[in-house]
Amino acid sequence: SRQCGLLCSQNYPLYIRSVPTENELKFHYTVHTSLDVVDEKISAMGKALVDQRELYLGLLYPTEDYKVYGYVTNSKVKFVMVVDSSNTALRDNEIRSMFRKLHNSYTDIMCNPFYNPGDRIHSRAFDTMVNSMMMQVC
Amino acid sequence: MSRSPGRKQENHKISRELFVLTYGALVAQLCKEYEKDEDVNACLDRMGYSIGIRLIDDFLARSAVKKCRSYSETADMIAQVAFKMYLGVTPSVSCNSVTGNKFSLILDKNPLVDFVEELPAERASLCYCNLLCGVIRGALEMVHLAAEVSFLQDRLKGDAVTEIGITFLRKPEDRKHRRN
Repeated sequence: SRQCGLLCSQNYPLYIRSVPTENELKFHYTVHTSLDVVDEKISAMGKALVDQRELYLGLLYPTEDYKVYGYVTNSKVKFVMVVDSSNTALRDNEIRSMFRKLHNSYTDIMCNPFYNPGDRIHSRAFDTMVNSMMMQVC
Repeated sequence: MSRSPGRKQENHKISRELFVLTYGALVAQLCKEYEKDEDVNACLDRMGYSIGIRLIDDFLARSAVKKCRSYSETADMIAQVAFKMYLGVTPSVSCNSVTGNKFSLILDKNPLVDFVEELPAERASLCYCNLLCGVIRGALEMVHLAAEVSFLQDRLKGDAVTEIGITFLRKPEDRKHRRN
């Protein structure tokens, strides 16, 4: 079975979704450790990143089961996408555009006057967008 | 659309996002200050009223419309000219009563709720756009039309459409004139 998942986080997860939900614990672990890799990569790239508006970090690290991709906004919100290694059809620019869609949807949530930054994300529109994205990938 | 000569006309456009976010911040702040939804709604209505009594002059100067001869014309004017001018949307109008004094504006699109998906669970009775009701009420009052304006349906509350109801109230003086 194919698995894929998404994490949207500042310093703690604001939104986690994985499909299908078996092996969820292992998946959550992968996703959490990815955040450390994101931080490492950001500090490694240093000044070069500061000038860019968005930071698509690309493939963070491959494991034998998963490929993990990262993206950071200039407001320090981290997105992590975990895709089954067996999914070889997914191209870099597709991942990039998915991250951009996520970023846009996240921005919409931020604009909701009832959403307090730092709250966990509960949004039907966000769920719908993530669902359709996952169907594409899984 | 230009104002009458003598008034400096500068068409500065302000971003829609800024306006929508400002309105949202206003409502969110009121929600922090008032526990009851009814109080927030009343406050929004009062603010809207304060805007409406001032906005009407701007509207009349800019639109140069003739005096409306009936409630029906007035309702059409509000929907097709005023809403279009200030919010960029045109609600549809329907008459709700045989007496011809109750109308509904059905809002298909409402820019004020652009970023609001649904009301928070603890704010189920909040009329998020109640400011609009106050604006309409205030504006009408300044042209000597008393009306009750309120939201009859609200998509944010789960209704199928967003509907503003305007009930024109007959003033006691009207009856006097009719006798003659």
